[in-house]
Amino acid sequence: MLEVDKLRAGYGAINILWDLSLTIREGQTTVIVGPNGAGKTTLLRAIMGLIKASRGDIRLNGRTTANRATWDIVHDGVIMIPEGRLVFRDMTVEDNLMMGAFPRHCRKGAKQNLAQVYDLFPRLAERRHQAAGSLSGGEAQMVAMGRGLMEEPKVVLIDEPSLGLAPVVVDEIFRIIARLKREGRTIVLVEQNTHRALAVADHVYLMRSGQVALSEPASAVNLDRLHDLYFAAEAAGA
Amino acid sequence: MSELVLQSLYAGLLAGGYYALIALGLTLIFGTMKVINLAHGEMVLLAAYIAYTAESVYGINPVLAIPLAVAAVVLTSVMVYGLVSRIRQDRELNSLILTFGIGIVLTNFVLMVWSADIRSTNVPWFNEPVVIGEAFYSTSAQVLFFLAGLGLTAALWWWLGRSWYGRALRAVASNRNAAMLMGVNPRTTEVISFVIAGLLAGIAGVALYTVAVIHPDLGHNLTIKAFVITVLAGLGSIPGVLVGAMLIGVAEYMTITLASSALQELTGMVMFLLVLFIRPSGLFGSRGRVG
Ligand SMILES: Nc1ncnc2c1ncn2[C@@H]1O[C@H](COP(=O)(O)OP(=O)(O)OP(=O)(O)O)[C@@H](O)[C@H]1O
Ligand SMILES: [Mg+2]
Repeated sequence: MLEVDKLRAGYGAINILWDLSLTIREGQTTVIVGPNGAGKTTLLRAIMGLIKASRGDIRLNGRTTANRATWDIVHDGVIMIPEGRLVFRDMTVEDNLMMGAFPRHCRKGAKQNLAQVYDLFPRLAERRHQAAGSLSGGEAQMVAMGRGLMEEPKVVLIDEPSLGLAPVVVDEIFRIIARLKREGRTIVLVEQNTHRALAVADHVYLMRSGQVALSEPASAVNLDRLHDLYFAAEAAGA
Repeated sequence: MSELVLQSLYAGLLAGGYYALIALGLTLIFGTMKVINLAHGEMVLLAAYIAYTAESVYGINPVLAIPLAVAAVVLTSVMVYGLVSRIRQDRELNSLILTFGIGIVLTNFVLMVWSADIRSTNVPWFNEPVVIGEAFYSTSAQVLFFLAGLGLTAALWWWLGRSWYGRALRAVASNRNAAMLMGVNPRTTEVISFVIAGLLAGIAGVALYTVAVIHPDLGHNLTIKAFVITVLAGLGSIPGVLVGAMLIGVAEYMTITLASSALQELTGMVMFLLVLFIRPSGLFGSRGRVG
């Protein structure tokens, strides 16, 4: 459904992704792990069209996204839940969440989805009129998550959703991801918490210095070996 | 004496409604794009002259000329955006120079088409007195455009706060990339904000023509007035614009009553400086907020 083909991309003169290829299958949950700076966020940005490929291609249902704008990709049902730092800081929590329903096809269900998000994160309901910039890191993360749910995605790219969250909230986040999976949505999950991520994964990629270092079905993954590779990567990167 | 003070208080508040009309477009663009449109006053003036032509040449009531004036100014506004959006670097600074230049072009255009004479409306209705409580004197035009100012401020506030595109516009101002991830095309929202700014400037121009007298080099005075009100309001605050505009209005009329009409334009500048010294974020300001 989503193919990344020998992708080379980066920021200006700095190249980050080096001929990276991977395949995301419809309805599956693909987990991407890797050390800090491996280029995981950069890959998600490239898929969303926020940065352009200098070489290689990204195809959605066989069609290249090279000349498509981010907002068009979003309207096609591919969305990204970025880290909490990317909330709209000077807008209220509720306005942030409502922005998730901006794509036309999401507007009808906005009211209902909003109530559902408040159900999932009662903290956000308490702070609905507060500026998102004044939230704690964990709360901002919840806003980013809730905002993404408002977008009713077909394919959802989630960037480290558990970062900085208390264990109970992490449980909640993974329950939500499991639910999205049951609903048949395609999920790409970037996550440092390999143990938790593996529990929902169908396929696992390990990224290292802008390349794929390991690609395995989740059932074949050996956590010890993954961790070895992971830390080898960190040692090599250091 | 106290009657005179009360009367100037009343007149100042009324003037505030139409000053707000003049300022809203500038505030909107500045609050959402950090672009100060220095041609804003000239755009208001253009609308005023279109109303004048409609009245003097075609015998159309200036109020009925609003759609035409608005159409012309909206078109101008979108062209200004077309140029501003082409700026690749340091948009905040370079747009100043660009819009300053556009202002000069517009002033000369007005001079060329309408000559340097002073104009004002000859439709008697606008100058008919409206007396409230037998103590407060004003004209129909003043009351009409005071109400228009109130209504349009409220409408703009609602639009920015509650509508899909108003919210999207604030989102683009807050975090462009994140807004794109919500399916927003930033250029669309920015064009819309220039269209709305043009619409407001168009109505403000017709108000100006019926309430006051116009001449071709009024443009930069209007820009300055709009800018002072924007800063007074707290950059980007829409309700602040109304309050700021009324404060300026009252201060001006008080100055005229208690001192001299020669000092009228100075009043706004003094208040501007006071705000910059005492409360640089403005009356309603919190940094970077719009709405
Ligand atoms: N806007 C940017 N401009 C220049 N370089 C950047 C930019 N954003 C990220 N980088 C660089 O790109 C590299 C990869 O960053 P990226 O955010 O993709 O890593 P990551 O795998 O998501 O790491 P983490 O696990 O810490 O989130 C880093 O070396 C980073 O310094
Ligand atoms: Mg990252």
